[in-house]
Amino acid sequence: MPDNKSDLNYETVQIGDALGPQEFHLSKDQVRAYAKTTGMWVPRFTDDEAARKEGLPGMITPGNMSLAILSKLVTDWIGTSGAQLVRMGTTYRQPVMPDHTLTLQGFVTHKNESNHTAEMDIWLENEDGERLVIGTATVHFPR
Amino acid sequence: MAVDYDPALIGRVFETTDPVPVSAEMIAKFCAAIGETNPLHTDAERAKKGPYGGLTAPPAFAVTFRNGQHFFQHVPRYGKQGFDAGKDVEFAGPIRPGDAVTLSSHVKEIYEKTGRTGSMVFVIVRTTLTNQKGEVVAHIDHRFMNRP
Amino acid sequence: MSTTLDLHSHSEASEDSRAPLEAYLNWLKLRRAERPVDGIVLTEHRQFNQDADYRALEDKFGMLVLKASEVETDYGHVLVFGVSAAMTQRFDFANVRLPAQEVIDEVARMGGVAVPCHPGRPNVGLCEHYTKKPPLQNVVAVEVLNGGSRKGEDERSESLVQQYGYRAVGGSDSHLVSLIGLCATRFAADIRTTEDLVRELRTGAYEPVDFRPRRKPVVQAVAVEVK
Repeated sequence: MPDNKSDLNYETVQIGDALGPQEFHLSKDQVRAYAKTTGMWVPRFTDDEAARKEGLPGMITPGNMSLAILSKLVTDWIGTSGAQLVRMGTTYRQPVMPDHTLTLQGFVTHKNESNHTAEMDIWLENEDGERLVIGTATVHFPR
Repeated sequence: MAVDYDPALIGRVFETTDPVPVSAEMIAKFCAAIGETNPLHTDAERAKKGPYGGLTAPPAFAVTFRNGQHFFQHVPRYGKQGFDAGKDVEFAGPIRPGDAVTLSSHVKEIYEKTGRTGSMVFVIVRTTLTNQKGEVVAHIDHRFMNRP
Repeated sequence: MSTTLDLHSHSEASEDSRAPLEAYLNWLKLRRAERPVDGIVLTEHRQFNQDADYRALEDKFGMLVLKASEVETDYGHVLVFGVSAAMTQRFDFANVRLPAQEVIDEVARMGGVAVPCHPGRPNVGLCEHYTKKPPLQNVVAVEVLNGGSRKGEDERSESLVQQYGYRAVGGSDSHLVSLIGLCATRFAADIRTTEDLVRELRTGAYEPVDFRPRRKPVVQAVAVEVK
């Protein structure tokens, strides 16, 4: 649920501000629901046994789903402030296995006065603190 | 030592889809799957008071188009496997229920590097999403990793 | 008067990083208490910018910024410190299959030092190559502590150091602003220039330093039945 952050604006955002950390349990059913609705109903995203036959440790989370989950970290942080997520990039470092507790984390790293934007690092890590998906996002603030 | 590829590939549009219709149901199911509860994306009534005057899809919905039946048919390959190594997305405009989105793709860049899984050739494909009014709603750079 | 440097970092010049140098330096200023680093070395992938001049930023932040490169060889990735124009003519830095032994020897002859990085990493680290090929000669140091390492990789690098008597360095390998300086190398000497760095790597006293916070165990977020 987004925060009621109507006071979040370009001036109040500080370099070093944290997004999250948000912990949640990603279930296999959730991954299957995503795979079904986005037209990705293939063995690697839906079935452990079939995924293992493809050489994977079990069914994995689609990269797009990790991207979506991380984008929600940013949009939750934006809340009702009127700012917009304008760009996001992710690198898939390791497969994200469902049935694990994932932590989403981010930090505001720099601001761009001329564009009125803030840049942030964002990532998704597993219980061992390994960053499975890393990336950056750009948020634009209205003037 | 560079990857051997035809320079004419770069920038040339190799694939465009027919317009893909976007329904309220697709957006609702997407929101449910990622746990999105923001009323701007889930409640048409409340979204009327939002910045776009109506319900819009969450930004990441833009990345769901190139799956399933609209997956790339003609991405240039350099060996085995086209792995999705990551994406860079520019969100340019909202996607609403009732929109029809056309996807158009070209190769942006090709380069080689080595990493923990071995030698890799990266093919960066840029897909531009345009709605029925001709407005660009997103650019997506897909990083495909191939094994030579 | 010791100097602590993050010897391995990637700015937006590397294709897989969007981190501006200024943001890196600002982050180090912000996090100085937990990461007391005096400067960083930019080790961009497969390239070297001879003309880049960072003195204005060095002055603004009171930090040292040195330039180096991360190249790819038949024995994995190697950090090259003390890159000269002659070196970039001798070797095509964009080549992902440079001959490692030649790189080590020629770089040394030309006044630099080549340090194999993340040796414990599969495919692009020394350890795996040493199981299939003869060990490299004239290696001075390897990067035992790398901020991007996965479980077990740095431990594998440690055993290489034990076996071959290599010196050990550390670096963050950061591609994100907020990860700069988490791993670094502490030198006993005062380092102000690339020449100082090369000299100290070859013959000075140094050790890897780890500024990463100790992890709190993550409680499994699973519903528990309350009786």
